[in-house]
Amino acid sequence: MPLPAKAFQLWLHGVAPNESTADICRISGIKRTTLAQQLVRGKVAETTLVSISRALKRSPLDDLASFDSYAELAGPPRPPTPAELVSQIATMDLLRAVISRSSPAYGGFGDEGSSLTPALGPAPHATSVRNWVDSIDDGELRHRVSAATGVAPQNYSAQLTANRLSPELAVATARAAGVGFTGGLVATGLITEAEAGWPARARQAALNGLSDGDLTALAGERLQSLGKTLRRQEHEHEQTKKIWENLG
Amino acid sequence: MMATLEWATLAVCCAAFLLRAPDAVRGRNRTVFGILFLGTLCSVLAVSELYEIVDGVLGGRKLTSLILRYLVFATVLLVGLRLTRGLAAARAHTLIAGGIGRWVLGLSCLAVTVTFFLMGTYTSPDGLQGLAGGERNAALESYFAAAGRTYPVYVSLVLMPPLLAAVRSRLPRLVRAGALLVLLGAFFAVMTFPASFAPETWGGAQHFVNYSAALGYVVGLVVFWFSGLISNKSSNGNATLRKDRG
Repeated sequence: MPLPAKAFQLWLHGVAPNESTADICRISGIKRTTLAQQLVRGKVAETTLVSISRALKRSPLDDLASFDSYAELAGPPRPPTPAELVSQIATMDLLRAVISRSSPAYGGFGDEGSSLTPALGPAPHATSVRNWVDSIDDGELRHRVSAATGVAPQNYSAQLTANRLSPELAVATARAAGVGFTGGLVATGLITEAEAGWPARARQAALNGLSDGDLTALAGERLQSLGKTLRRQEHEHEQTKKIWENLG
Repeated sequence: MMATLEWATLAVCCAAFLLRAPDAVRGRNRTVFGILFLGTLCSVLAVSELYEIVDGVLGGRKLTSLILRYLVFATVLLVGLRLTRGLAAARAHTLIAGGIGRWVLGLSCLAVTVTFFLMGTYTSPDGLQGLAGGERNAALESYFAAAGRTYPVYVSLVLMPPLLAAVRSRLPRLVRAGALLVLLGAFFAVMTFPASFAPETWGGAQHFVNYSAALGYVVGLVVFWFSGLISNKSSNGNATLRKDRG
């Protein structure tokens, strides 16, 4: 559920007592009409809060935690698990890691990798959300989340497929899986790794910690699902083209 | 109410016809244009006042109502062929273009013609709408009406599964909207069959079903065309090889 407008305005008054709404919108890059609309409706999107908090050089995570519905985010931070960290590495970066671990004959640098291997792309990536949920799923996670939140399993799946998850559901998912709350917020792109308090090279370290077998298997899984997605898109594209050729 | 529906349907058909005309001149998908042309012609004849005028020109023997049935059959045949090919529904396509489809078309034509001429012997000059001819003619009238529905009902039934699949697919939204409209048209077209046996007092409902069917088909086709028209920009935003970031 988005943040209540009243609590939001109280917070805004507390953190920026001297700025006008226009100033806030200008520094945070939010359209005035967007903010006005959210205030009128009584619900302010979490992204709005994060943008403003960022612009004021505050911690979005702490600011989010100051609201009742996100109170759990306060408290001692729980670091993400290695699996969660690896889930936030893009498929192409995983493949690059596979190659860079291979023998020089195949363009690799041996076991250790090399400074020539390009740095990982920033989180989130194109399938961040689904990969994150998969990385913390014990097989029953989706059922527990849908039982706890009342969101139908197919709606939940649809959000994952679209690489989207509302912040509220991301937190609920983390709670149901018993992991730290930042993983989902980073995977959905609400906050950055740094804002979540993850160490700078945490993802790289988690990647280095994977054995060759685990890395290869994981990259294989990712490639397979990417292949499925691409094939589905190509099929849909063909179908659409055919409709337009015959009926357009 | 009835007159409004008639004229509204005609207006929509004409609008669709005119909208589609420039593309047809450029040689793009003339069959669809042909469908819209036939559809417009049908809706012209479906307006009572215009029907009277045309029928007067043709000798006032109600021959026009027979011609109208044939025109509807031709339109429906073309729609069926195009839609099944566009939706890549091979089974539905053979059901319309293959042996069974031709038999159904032939029998429907025969049924319409036979009932028409049986009725004709009892029909006074201003006949079909049930003044002269007595009870037998009234019964024949509903048989004539029903016979005129058989082929559209058959094609609509065949089209429904592939249309439903298209509506539930993940194709672009406008394409799915077009499929949904045509599906509604097909649904109403199927409903026209039982409606033609409905008692006289249900005349309003009968008309509503008839014109909704026509409107569904025509507007659906226009939406298909429009979705293709505005689709120049590729909307492939998710996980592609070239664009790995969302």
